[in-house]
Amino acid sequence: MKKLLLLSLLSLAACELPPRQASTTTALNTVSDSTALGADEEYVMVTTAVTMPMYINHDQAAFKRWGAKHGVNVSVLGPAEWDVPAQINIIEEVIGTRPSGLLINGTDPAIGPVIDKAVAAGIPTVVYDSDIPNSKRHAFLGTDWYEIGQMQGREMVRLLGGKGKIAYLGIFGLNSMETGFRGLLDVIKDYPGIEVVGKFDDRSNVEEAARITSNLLSAHPDLAGLCGFDSNSGPGIGLAVKEAGRVGKVKVTTVDWEPEHLQLVREGVIQMLAGQKRELFTWYGAQFLYDMVHQTNRLSAHDAQAGITNVPTSVNTGLLRITQANVNEFIHR
Amino acid sequence: MRQLVQERTYSLTLTIVLIGLGAALVFPQTFPTFGNWSQLLLNLSIDTIVAVGMMLLLIAGVFDLSVGSVVAFSGGIAAYTMMVYGIPVPVAVVLTLIGAGLIGAVNGYLIAYQGINPMIQTLAMMGIVRGGALLISGSGIQNLPYWFNALSQSRLLGIQMPVWYMLLIVGTFAFLMNKTVFFRRYYYIGGNEQAADLSGIRVKRMKLWGFVLTSVLAGVAGMLLASRLGTALPTAGRGLELRVITAVILGGASLSGGHGKIIGALLGAMFMGLVSNVMVLTRVSGYWQDIILGLILIAAVWSDKALQKRGALA
Repeated sequence: MKKLLLLSLLSLAACELPPRQASTTTALNTVSDSTALGADEEYVMVTTAVTMPMYINHDQAAFKRWGAKHGVNVSVLGPAEWDVPAQINIIEEVIGTRPSGLLINGTDPAIGPVIDKAVAAGIPTVVYDSDIPNSKRHAFLGTDWYEIGQMQGREMVRLLGGKGKIAYLGIFGLNSMETGFRGLLDVIKDYPGIEVVGKFDDRSNVEEAARITSNLLSAHPDLAGLCGFDSNSGPGIGLAVKEAGRVGKVKVTTVDWEPEHLQLVREGVIQMLAGQKRELFTWYGAQFLYDMVHQTNRLSAHDAQAGITNVPTSVNTGLLRITQANVNEFIHR
Repeated sequence: MRQLVQERTYSLTLTIVLIGLGAALVFPQTFPTFGNWSQLLLNLSIDTIVAVGMMLLLIAGVFDLSVGSVVAFSGGIAAYTMMVYGIPVPVAVVLTLIGAGLIGAVNGYLIAYQGINPMIQTLAMMGIVRGGALLISGSGIQNLPYWFNALSQSRLLGIQMPVWYMLLIVGTFAFLMNKTVFFRRYYYIGGNEQAADLSGIRVKRMKLWGFVLTSVLAGVAGMLLASRLGTALPTAGRGLELRVITAVILGGASLSGGHGKIIGALLGAMFMGLVSNVMVLTRVSGYWQDIILGLILIAAVWSDKALQKRGALA
């Protein structure tokens, strides 16, 4: 018993508590000089839901194209499903392998501490898609999700002439999407003629989005508009609206511009797409990393020592507004 | 030798050692380092804690699909009570464990006493509890109290605490399952439920407690995850139930019950963590991992069957 007590006390003495607050010294923000260059130069992208077609066709394709153009190694890692803790685990393991640069999909504020760890290890770290403002990331490129919500809200107000019932679909619990929902509601609240009949979780699933939409159309025969916030909301809403024979009568706005979205715009099922410029996230994100590693633009005698990041710290890549008027330009791109 | 191959804990340990040696030879700079191993263990600690409960249930011939949702829910409940009601950390921890235990009690009661199929009951509970987690946490509750975060973010001998909790839980349950009459009864229940019942074992009550314990362990895992991330994520633990069942089956459990050792849960999770780690080092993307793990699972179960057949013939 005494031995056990002694062992417990020793364990407690050896226990190291986490720091109260993350250090704010500029040294943390600097880039290691020992980063591998030349043949070993490698840039690693870590995302979640690595198999999502939108990620493969836009983010990953542009990143790989960038790697081929610059003759450096690029790797794409991440769990197959939407699993933020798994993404964190992979980033932790990648840090130990010391890549030249890390390009991280800003999936959730919870990845902030691991981004700080990468930065503290001297690895140039760029966040794309959604920002992680609570982190020490060197740079961010992406979309403002609040703006996506506002854009859909304004379009819906215009399409409905300021009155009618609407509903919106997306994935619950994701920071980016909840921000988008807020943007939409902030626009709508100024138009008392517009009634929001519900917020629905389609779990990024076409069948689920279609099921929710058809139920909504039955429950509210006077439903005037639907807004979608994830990549699969649009195709699901489109399917149900077509099956119910309500094309053009129910106005639809949604995000992203995969081939199926564009086709639905051409058919007049979806009235507007709020498209993200995803290729720019990863192409310029990788370029930022490269410019940090190669110190392409020196701003001082020694940027690392001065605690300077020599790339833009925050870039809003903006949104594409795709309607029937310009959809062919995207289909035949 | 045959016995060595037939006993899953030995064959799995051997496989882990072989993969480890191979990886150490190919990646001498990055694989056999303290940093990589402490990270690898940390990454599998949450799954392993849940896997211990799942192993116990599978030994008794049942399983629980709601554990992943309980992980998200318990992180959310702890965060919500601390952040919204300002409840002190220890009280929030206890309340969360009681909450998780109650979910297990509902599962256990309806399955053991009302005869609802475990798959249907826990599948329904998975949805109910995930919905609850989303209601509580919204898009996630951040900036959790320092002492709550310290539960997972502190280190002992340079290794983060969840690894120690995992070892403690595995050690405790391995001891209980080996040495105590109460826990050994789960083997009899899984082996032949009717015979266990006739021999005077209170099968229903034992099953109820099995679900309660599993849920409490998932509650512990959920709090440790939230504490590690400093955030309660409503999307945490998605797909965890199947990952954990895979680990436990790899570790020697059988869906028909009566088989398995607690240490097998750790070994199964460690094997999966090792495969995942090697894939990160080789820069192989996520979807290959699922394919590879699926193939390994089939190979493991199939080789068991083949060995059993040969054993029966010999």
